[in-house]
Amino acid sequence: MTRLSAVLYWVGLPVRLGLAAVWLTSGIAKALDPAQTVVAVRAYRLLGESLVRPVAAILPWLEIALGVLLVLGLATRLAAALSALVLLAFIVGVISAAARGLLIDCGCFGGGGTVAPGETQYTVEILRDIGFLLLAGWLIWRPVTPLSVDALVAARSAGGQDGDADQA
Amino acid sequence: MAKRPSNKARPVSTSKSGAGVRSGGARQGGGQRAQPQSKGARQSVAQARRTSANSNRTQLIIGGIAIVAIVAIVVIGLVINKEQNAQQGDPNYLAKASTATVVDHSIVIANGDPATSIDVYEDALCPICGEFEYQYGKQIAEMVDNGDLEVRLHMLDFLNKHSSSGDYSTRAAGALLAVAIEAGDEPGLVIKFHSALFDPDTQPAEGGDSDLSNEQLADLAISVGAPKSVKTSIVDGKYVQQAAANAEDGVASLAAVVGGDNVGTPTVLHDGAPVDIRPTDWLPQLVG
Repeated sequence: MTRLSAVLYWVGLPVRLGLAAVWLTSGIAKALDPAQTVVAVRAYRLLGESLVRPVAAILPWLEIALGVLLVLGLATRLAAALSALVLLAFIVGVISAAARGLLIDCGCFGGGGTVAPGETQYTVEILRDIGFLLLAGWLIWRPVTPLSVDALVAARSAGGQDGDADQA
Repeated sequence: MAKRPSNKARPVSTSKSGAGVRSGGARQGGGQRAQPQSKGARQSVAQARRTSANSNRTQLIIGGIAIVAIVAIVVIGLVINKEQNAQQGDPNYLAKASTATVVDHSIVIANGDPATSIDVYEDALCPICGEFEYQYGKQIAEMVDNGDLEVRLHMLDFLNKHSSSGDYSTRAAGALLAVAIEAGDEPGLVIKFHSALFDPDTQPAEGGDSDLSNEQLADLAISVGAPKSVKTSIVDGKYVQQAAANAEDGVASLAAVVGGDNVGTPTVLHDGAPVDIRPTDWLPQLVG
C-alpha cells in the first residue's frame, strides 16, 4: 500500500465514525421525541398528511440503523449510499421549505418575543447537510476503512493470497 | 504487520475475473483468456478468480446482512414507536357532556365538579399543540365527560408573527372564546371546536402562506355544531380583543410558574407545577 493510500485508508476511520455519530445522535433524538418528529416532518409540507406519520415513525430508526452499520463498518458503501440518499432528501426538503418561508423548527418554545428565524437558519442547515453528504461521498469512494467489519472480511478474503496488491 | 485490505478493486488478476468463475484448476478452451504457461501460475490465477468470486459473494452476503439489519431495526423501532406515539383514548370518542365557562382569562371546561384540575396552555398555531391534541385530546374529552377532570384552557398568541395573517393565534382564540361565551353550555361543543382548530387538516402551518380567516373560523365552529348566532360574533371578531388580553394574562400566569424564558406550548400545569407530558400515561397517572 502506498503512503497515500495508507493515509486515505486511515482518514476513512474518522469519516466513517463521524457520519455514524451524526446518524446515531439524530436518530436517537428523534426516537426519544416522536411527537416533535411528526411535527418536524409535517413542517416541510412535502408529504401528504397520510404519509407524515409513517415517515415520522420510520425515520428515526432508519437513521439509527445507518448509524449502527457505519459504527460497525459493515457494508459501508451501501450504508454510505443510503446515507447520501437520505441526506439529499433532507437538503431538498430544507431548500424547498426555505423557498416557501416555512418554519422548520417550531417557534413554540420561543416564549414571548424571540426572533423569527431568518435566512441564516436554512443556510446553516443546508451547509451542514452538504458537509455530511461529503462524508458519505468519501465512504462511497473508499468504503474500506480501519477497524471495520468490511476490513476484516476483506483481509480474510485476501488472506493466503500471493501477489496481493497490499504490501505490509 | 497485518495486510491492509485494499480499496482498489479486489481481484488481483487483471484479466476478466469476477463473475463467470471456474473452479480451481479446471482448464477449458477458455475463449480469449491468455493461458499462463506454468502450472503454478495457472493455479494462482485460478485461485485469484475463485477468491474474487468468493469475495463478490461475500460482498453480496454482507450487503444482505446489512439490509436485513436495517429492516430489523426499523421494524423493532416501529413496534416501540407505536406505543409511544399512539393516540391515547378512543379515537372515535365525541365530547358530549362537558360545558364551558370563562373564568378570568381562561376557559374552564368540566362536567360537574371534578377532583382533578389541569391548566393547559396552548397557541392555536402551535404544531406541537396539534400533536398533543392528537395524542391526548380524546382521552381528555372522555375524562372530562366522566367528571374526573377539569381543564382550564389558556390560549396564548405569541405565535401570531408566524402566521400569514399576522394575528391568527389571537383570532382563533377569539373564535374559541366566542363559542365558550355564547354557547358554552352546549354539551361538548367547546371541546369539539377546540379539537377542530388543532386538526392537522385545519391548523395552518407556521410560516405558511395562508391561515384561516374569521369567516372560515366561523364556518368551522358551525360545522362542529355551534349555533348560527355565534357566526356573526366570530366573523366580526367580537372577542378578538378580549382574547388578546387573555393571552397576555395567560403568558403572565405561566411565566409566574416556569419563568419568563420558559414560556412555551403546550404546557400542562397541575397544582401549580408543570406536568411532564412525555410519558404517554401522564394523564391516567394524574387523575388516578
